[in-house]
Amino acid sequence: MTRYLNIAVILALIGSAVYAYTIKYQTAFRAEQITKTKLEIKAERDAIAVLRAEWSFLTRPARIQQLSERYLDLQPLTVDRLVVARQLPERAARVDAIGDKIETLGLGVASTPAADPAKAPTTPKSKTKAAGH
Amino acid sequence: MTTMDATSAKHAPEPARGRLASSLRGFVARAFSTNIALSGTRIRLIAFVFFSLYCVIAGKLVYLGFKPDPANLRRAAAAAAAAARPDLLDRNGEILATDVKTMSVFAEPRRLVDKDEATELLTAALPQVDAKELRERLASKKGFVWVKREVTPHQRDEVFHLGLPGVGLIAENKRVYPNGPLAAHVLGFANIDNAGIAGMEKYIDGQGLADLSGAGFSLTPQDLQPITLSLDIKATQALRDELAKGVEHFKAKAGAAAIMDVNTGEMIATASMPDYDPNTPPDVHDVNLINRLNVGVYEMGSTFKALTIAMALDSGKVTLNSRFDARGTLNFGRFPIHDYHAQNRVLTVPEVFTYSSNIGTARMALGQGVEKHKAYLRKMGQLTRMRTELPESSEPLVPKNWGELNTATIAFGHGLAVAPLQAMMAVGALLNGGYLITPTFLKRSEEEAKKDAPQVIKPETSEAMRYLMRLNAEIGTAKRVNVPGYFVGGKTGTAEKVIGGHYSKNRLFTTFMAILPADKPKYLFMTVMDEPQGLPETGGYATAAYNVGAVTGKLLERVGPILGVAPRPTPALPFPLLAKQGYAFANTPAQGGGGH
Repeated sequence: MTRYLNIAVILALIGSAVYAYTIKYQTAFRAEQITKTKLEIKAERDAIAVLRAEWSFLTRPARIQQLSERYLDLQPLTVDRLVVARQLPERAARVDAIGDKIETLGLGVASTPAADPAKAPTTPKSKTKAAGH
Repeated sequence: MTTMDATSAKHAPEPARGRLASSLRGFVARAFSTNIALSGTRIRLIAFVFFSLYCVIAGKLVYLGFKPDPANLRRAAAAAAAAARPDLLDRNGEILATDVKTMSVFAEPRRLVDKDEATELLTAALPQVDAKELRERLASKKGFVWVKREVTPHQRDEVFHLGLPGVGLIAENKRVYPNGPLAAHVLGFANIDNAGIAGMEKYIDGQGLADLSGAGFSLTPQDLQPITLSLDIKATQALRDELAKGVEHFKAKAGAAAIMDVNTGEMIATASMPDYDPNTPPDVHDVNLINRLNVGVYEMGSTFKALTIAMALDSGKVTLNSRFDARGTLNFGRFPIHDYHAQNRVLTVPEVFTYSSNIGTARMALGQGVEKHKAYLRKMGQLTRMRTELPESSEPLVPKNWGELNTATIAFGHGLAVAPLQAMMAVGALLNGGYLITPTFLKRSEEEAKKDAPQVIKPETSEAMRYLMRLNAEIGTAKRVNVPGYFVGGKTGTAEKVIGGHYSKNRLFTTFMAILPADKPKYLFMTVMDEPQGLPETGGYATAAYNVGAVTGKLLERVGPILGVAPRPTPALPFPLLAKQGYAFANTPAQGGGGH
């Protein structure tokens, strides 16, 4: 009896030792991973800083102006080309020119049903789509 | 150390000399005998040995504690390497200055095995490094020396592959200015250690950044909040472009231009020609490269007439209907005052402004008296050094003995030299309803700006000044800025430069101020040129209207849309306060003309 108990205790000891070491090595591994990721983040941040600098260098107004002068036919915007939306003329009433023509030709309303937006087929709602999956 | 003690104990002085030696010999003999009765002595010996061992260890610890810190390489490198700086952004978040990482090569002379070989290999990899100088640096006893700062990626790899012990690479921050010379005078620049040397870079160091890095905090870019400036980089580009073209076209020695938000004092755009690229820092002592806006001081010419007229109107003694005799010349002893566009008649206040009459403004200032004139200019910040965030500034040149003649000439902008930005601040106060707001290069709100801004003139006077500026753009000397759709007002200024103690007729300093729009003031434009030349197309004239006026006109048209100023029909009642005072004529478009 005592012998079995001893064996069990020894096994438990070995087991706990193994477990403790696994935890220890895992911790070390994770710590290493964290350090590595931190370094990677730093490298990425540095790279982002370089890219940001490069982006603002390439899109600097002086360069854009030079390029547009060389390759584009665009003219600088002058003040007289700016109009406030309110100053635009009112939109004319919508005229269905084709419909009128069909009407005068006598091919009237009866043959083609009026477009009713409510009856128009619609794509299924995303909600039902989600439910299907 | 244990063996040392043991042997010293063992080989204790052999020749017996007195009692001490014989007793020691007895002690040793007993200690090493196998007699069981003597084990007590042995234990004492062992205890003694261990005790002395611990004493040595403790002693060493104390010694190490007191020893000066051995040069920690990492710390030495961090202290020497360029610190991080916060990004500088424009008002819309575009980058004006930022940090990028570069690699620098350093060496630890104490760890170098063969200094000659190291010198040879390093100079082969880094051709720009002077071999003799490097050899001297490596021969020093320092723990840390730079070999070469900011190497290229290729050179970095080469140095790395040399595999020299005692030679290493470290990442440093390098300041870059993606926009090159744009707003260079405002940004200033940082040196190779990333310490601010001029402009806003120096200003942010003064705000505690330098102290932090000096105290050993190595700041990461994430710790630093970017600093938003008031500048708009797109407007700045347009401004610099037009100014550079203008300076070149009119063969001026120098020029400067600026746009200020008169309600907040924010500088939206500035440029000063000639300028420099802060990525390749110039010689800081080159006087040619100064910021003409706040370091150069100039006699501002007729722009000062606006100040004089505002003083006269604000005193209540003079109204828009007052008349001033501008016939002939105004004589001060041997010194006669002429009018450039002489009308030789009695002029009303608006006419004095639009014909830019020297005599009229001189009479106005004399009507107030010397002391009042002086006090007024002091109140307007024209007699003391103006301080902005920029560390560079200049004291105005004020006449020592200020008499009537000085008042008469300063009334039309001769005899008092101020920084153009200072004059801009005063003109801004004349236009924005009377608040004297110190210009700023940092973004701020109107409430913040007006919180400490003193009211220097009445709102009615300010409106009268806007009316005069508008009138001048309609029929006066500022017609070149009358962009249709924008209700612009303007004032020219031409000052003769003092050459060898005399005013020179052909060396001019021209200025132009324009307000956009004149009824609800928002942006004040200023352009100045130093010694522009007359050209055939200007009829040989080099006065302000022909050069800076033309430049400002182009600038208004180009920058207006960038700043989001929408064109609109002429306002029906642009000057309501003047209408209430009975100046109905102020609200009707002016006819006819004067000036040029």
